[in-house]
Amino acid sequence: MSASRILAVARRIAQGFRRDERTLGLIFVVPIVITALLGWVIRDQKDLTVGVVIVNEAGAPGQRIVDALTTATIGAPDGIEVVATAETQAAAEAALRDDNGDLALILPATLPGDVLTGQRPRLTVITGGTDPAVDGAALGKLQGLMATVAEELAAATGGVAIIPEIERQTLYLTAQADELDVLAPVFLAYFAYFFVFILTGISFLRERIGGTLERLLATPVSRAEIVIGYSLGFGFFAILQVIVLTVFVLARVDVPSIGPLPAFTIGLDVQSVGSPLIAFLLAVVLSLGSVSLGIFLSTFARTELQIMQFIPLVIIPQGLIGGIFWPVDRLPDVLEVVAHVMPMAYAVDGLRAVMLRGADFGDAAVQLDFLVLTGIAALFVVLAGTTIKREVA
Amino acid sequence: MTAPAPAVEAAGLHKSFGTVRAVDGIDLALAPGRIYGLLGPNGSGKTTFIRMVAGLARPTAGTARVLGTLMPNRDVLGQIGYMPQAEALYPELSVAENVAFFARLEGHSDRVPVDRVLDLVGLADRRTTPAMHLSGGMRRRLSLACTLVHEPAVLLLDEPTVGVDPALRVQFWAHFRKLAAAGTTIIVASHVMDEADRCDELIFIRSGRVLARGTSAEVRNGAGTPDLETAFLHFSGLDADGRALEAPIS
Repeated sequence: MSASRILAVARRIAQGFRRDERTLGLIFVVPIVITALLGWVIRDQKDLTVGVVIVNEAGAPGQRIVDALTTATIGAPDGIEVVATAETQAAAEAALRDDNGDLALILPATLPGDVLTGQRPRLTVITGGTDPAVDGAALGKLQGLMATVAEELAAATGGVAIIPEIERQTLYLTAQADELDVLAPVFLAYFAYFFVFILTGISFLRERIGGTLERLLATPVSRAEIVIGYSLGFGFFAILQVIVLTVFVLARVDVPSIGPLPAFTIGLDVQSVGSPLIAFLLAVVLSLGSVSLGIFLSTFARTELQIMQFIPLVIIPQGLIGGIFWPVDRLPDVLEVVAHVMPMAYAVDGLRAVMLRGADFGDAAVQLDFLVLTGIAALFVVLAGTTIKREVA
Repeated sequence: MTAPAPAVEAAGLHKSFGTVRAVDGIDLALAPGRIYGLLGPNGSGKTTFIRMVAGLARPTAGTARVLGTLMPNRDVLGQIGYMPQAEALYPELSVAENVAFFARLEGHSDRVPVDRVLDLVGLADRRTTPAMHLSGGMRRRLSLACTLVHEPAVLLLDEPTVGVDPALRVQFWAHFRKLAAAGTTIIVASHVMDEADRCDELIFIRSGRVLARGTSAEVRNGAGTPDLETAFLHFSGLDADGRALEAPIS
């Protein structure tokens, strides 16, 4: 062991960093940017008003509750408001599907009887079920509201406040859906996007620094032919990867116990109500955009390390504000705008719509998602083409 | 008898990178079917000149024409063979795959030209070897094969025989001769003086300008030196021992 040799190695690294100002800068900038972004997203989330649709099957006593709830929530003082009443549960569900409310509250026909016999009445609450965090928050607000209204009604009649039990139902997934069922659609999007970006970015960087790009450009090949050829070549492997991810997320293969090995399952067995093919196509369009993004950003890198440095700047922010963990419409206003220029937001929206709500190509949101993702992919093909021109005059 | 139209023509050719004038006013007309040696010290502008002729860099001022076409122009690239200094090969691809790839970009999808050119560079028995497993000299040969596969009318070779052993170098030059006899114009940027001696004509470049042009004998006489090596040093502004001349040529 020689201390001077160890120090020589350490010193060599410091000398390298000194000349690589960008890496040095990113060491300081990246953690601050990412942490600040995370703090911003979590602290400054918009608290959206929960819209309640009420179905009254309990006659006049029920109507008293409806009136009390409606009066108490005018102007949504506590972030919850009765927005509509519906004749039947089916009508209320239709209203939720059309996005005319966030949850439905059903006052059952048994309610007056239960109150008279002193039993706790059972109310049914229907939520979307595609985002447990959002549903949980909405449910919390509803319970707070019902407690307040129960006190008021009790005070008015001189009785004791009765807090009803709540039975949860969900519009889309089963009420047993866990975080994984909700996150799985975005696995497809995020990981495909991430891996394809790294693959293409590094390959094209090699093409640039290895001299092969220059040599290609000395042949009659056009820039468009290079970019489209690249998209096709990497697109093929991106598609393979998306197939693997889709199958793993949706499949469940039970492997029985063999000898001393315990039984186990392969695949996540995620509930998906929509077409796996549409989900797959969404992920493919997203990945093709990632191919051109990799080519485009490789212009701004001189080393493979510098390609990696784009991950915290390009990939992670899309993970934070692309709608994966927090709905885009709850982000602080500025970030909401930023999210809407990110392909991830559209891919996540589309994949959730398809896998969780069973939307198909007839759905306007899915159409928009496809359109925007295709547009972004096309835009980056053009941008990638221009960077090839710039590089070699 | 009128002289044939030049295969490569430069008129008032300039290229600046910021304040650096890499090519600073070159006027040349190079006849078809001849081999030109482009000589000059490192950083003299040889590669920049070749890149402009190959259509890879746009002149800051002046023009470069290949076969009468103003460069850069993609239409004429199929008739140019450019072998850069860097190997510029795909390391994961095999020898034959590398050559076939460049052949396809040039519009040849059959196997015949690939086999022919691999025979020429002596890599026929290495067809399936990945380029990354070749020695330095073999990679140079493969790089040349990629350049020759489409039988270009104008060959731009940037130090083609670095790392190639003398026996194979002789074969290369025999082939260059054959190509030139068939009408190919060849520009070879080189530091190797015995190679320069094989050229029909030499062009000495320093600081982006042509200092001397002529046959090997003419260049030696012009510099007043007995051999090409000393002439090279002379035009590079050095004496026979490599020391800076007091009043360098300009």
